[in-house]
Amino acid sequence: MANTIFYLIAGIIICSAFLVVTLRNLFHCALFLALAMFGVSGVFLFLNFEFLAIVQVLIYVGAVTVLIIFGIMLTRNVMDDKTRVLNKQVFLAIIAAAAVMTISFSAVGKSVFFEGDHPTITMAETSAAPDPPKPSSLGQNDVYALGLELIRPEKGYAFSFEFVSVLLLSALVGAIVVARKEKS
Amino acid sequence: MNSIPVLHFLYLSIILFSIGLFGVLIRKNAISVLMGVELMLNAVNINYLAFAKYWNWNTLTGPVFVVFVITIAAAEAAVALAIIISIYRQMKSTNVDEVHYLRG
Repeated sequence: MANTIFYLIAGIIICSAFLVVTLRNLFHCALFLALAMFGVSGVFLFLNFEFLAIVQVLIYVGAVTVLIIFGIMLTRNVMDDKTRVLNKQVFLAIIAAAAVMTISFSAVGKSVFFEGDHPTITMAETSAAPDPPKPSSLGQNDVYALGLELIRPEKGYAFSFEFVSVLLLSALVGAIVVARKEKS
Repeated sequence: MNSIPVLHFLYLSIILFSIGLFGVLIRKNAISVLMGVELMLNAVNINYLAFAKYWNWNTLTGPVFVVFVITIAAAEAAVALAIIISIYRQMKSTNVDEVHYLRG
């Protein structure tokens, strides 16, 4: 049952991703992008990372897709029906994407990690009540442990965390400065 | 029967990455190119989490990297859309083929 749901979600992701890159109407592309992001968050749920699944829905579906839709609306009159949406290098692009896919498939298939018995990801049995978080436990799906991992100084991620916050601030200021209308 | 081979997660990730790369290469509109990049970043996230789940080590490196990737993707989308809007004001077009101010 769980397997069926996973393959259903995978099919939804692949179909909507293909529609994102091939549809003419940019609005439909953005909406299918939101559907693909929902599917990816479902895959995160399958892997028992509930917090990251919620973050995925919040940021990608809630923020990035809305941002893209605003961008489409602000550059609206580019998309009349006559203009071509694809450029001239479609055949080269097909060759390149197929080559990347083939090489990755064969590389994954030949990898020494997957020799012998095929490793599987087992779904977690539903526990009745999760234990309250303890400071020493580093559970895989623990928001507490994730936050501790991010800011604890001896783990090495504290600097990256602070650096990412500076990056977000500079991206915010930079986006405002670049998109501001110049006084002429 | 409650288990899925980790290879299937990797296959899903490969297919999603290739579709995103295809979209980046074939589209003319800059916003479509941005959408293709977002698809590729999501493929990378699936890979990180599948490996983090499969190798049940006592570390959280995979989820931490996914947090960073999501953050940087959001910042990148904001800056890219600002640049696209700015280019649209100047050139009345968002086609990546026509923007060649920097061509030598």
